[in-house]
Amino acid sequence: MRRDLISIDDLTLAELNDYLGFAARVESMSETDKVTLLRGKVLAVMFFEPSTRTRLSFETAMQRLGGGVVGFSDILATSVKKGESFLDTIRTVECYSDVLVCRHPKEGTARLATEVSRIPVINAGDGTNQHPTQTLLDLYTLQKFFGKIDGLKISFAGDLKYSRTVHSLLHALMKYEGVEFILASPELLELPEYLKLEARRRGHTLHETRDLMEAVRGADCLYMTRIQQERFPDPIEYDMVKGAYVLNAAMLRGCPAHFKVLHPLPRLNEIATDVDATRHAGYFEQVLNGVYMRQAILLDVLEVTL
Amino acid sequence: MSDARHPDSDDRRESDRRTTELIPKIEQGIVIDHIPAGRGVHVLAAVRGYPGMENTLISVGLNYASTKLGKKDILKLSTTNMPDEVIEHVALVAPRVSIKRICDYQVDKKYVIEFPQTISNKLRCRNSNCITNYEDRVTTVFRCFDSMTRQVKCGHCERIFFLDELDLIRATD
Ligand SMILES: [Zn+2]
Repeated sequence: MRRDLISIDDLTLAELNDYLGFAARVESMSETDKVTLLRGKVLAVMFFEPSTRTRLSFETAMQRLGGGVVGFSDILATSVKKGESFLDTIRTVECYSDVLVCRHPKEGTARLATEVSRIPVINAGDGTNQHPTQTLLDLYTLQKFFGKIDGLKISFAGDLKYSRTVHSLLHALMKYEGVEFILASPELLELPEYLKLEARRRGHTLHETRDLMEAVRGADCLYMTRIQQERFPDPIEYDMVKGAYVLNAAMLRGCPAHFKVLHPLPRLNEIATDVDATRHAGYFEQVLNGVYMRQAILLDVLEVTL
Repeated sequence: MSDARHPDSDDRRESDRRTTELIPKIEQGIVIDHIPAGRGVHVLAAVRGYPGMENTLISVGLNYASTKLGKKDILKLSTTNMPDEVIEHVALVAPRVSIKRICDYQVDKKYVIEFPQTISNKLRCRNSNCITNYEDRVTTVFRCFDSMTRQVKCGHCERIFFLDELDLIRATD
């Protein structure tokens, strides 16, 4: 059966761990060995909305495996703007390539692409629904920093209500044993109730707070997200809230050596730049891990084993 | 036939009641029974629209007494051959109805239809940002998320809905 990567919910715990192991093997290879693995293969990058970092990560991943990249990242320059249907675009682009990476502002597009495509489809974000390669690289980052995921105490801070990244990572972490969560957010941006219920039902401990320092103390890892102004009807309320969820180096004094700060990037001002020089900054390594994980995913859907 | 001996009080009393009922027993056909009162017209709408059902005689009984449900609706059809697609559609509009096939005035086969595991091209997604609402030629797929609460999950946008929140795509559309 053709392999696609559309939703984290499609993956079992064993499959998640297979990806983590695969990414570790990719990382351990030399660049010269890697650069022959997908020689002659072409990746089509179809970004119906811009996301420069995700696109660069996929393109780098493919090129360092020796493959080529075609595609578009500007919807205005393509026939899509002229009213071509999404499915017709998929049917056209698959003729030029061996694997599709698709990002689209509407939910369900990547799944729909699998229904017509003859080549593997990787979801690089469908509206507010899924962004599975981000979740896998986040898991890989946790695995690398801590050597395990079971039993970790992980804090999430910022916009927990709308963040697709947070929801998806939480879903994945609920498949692991004994992971504890600390949730720090303004009242307006709390984690949706159904996710809290599901976490508790699966036996995870949840601690909710408005205080960012509570999310720093006692956790192994702090996963921060952007708080976007457009979520707030009142700009004054936004100004008050955003100041309360800014992390700086002074707040990390006294943290255990293994404590790490992660962020899906780009950041606004929620992590002060003085955190970058501390041993706790994990977010740039997270970016690098994204390349290894996306290489593992490309190899996996193209059925190359290591 | 074990089904016929099943102590279903509704069945047992049917012969006693039949003189007061408006729909007579049928010699041959299908009875859709134990429809929660009020849902009978929805079941009728589900059944009659299907290709192949247009020449089927259908009697509709509303507000019959039922020991199980208090009040129930009931449909009797002249055909013994109801396509699976129609049965699946009935399962969506009315929970846990019984289907009885009648042969020579006797119940020949009887079963309760359960909530479907997969619902293909019968429901429209309510998420206004779901791609299924923008592309032509898309078959919607919903999967059972929780049969007790009648919740289903869109196979495309992965949102979860109560079945009753969703609009049916009519067979005649
Ligand atoms: Zn949907």
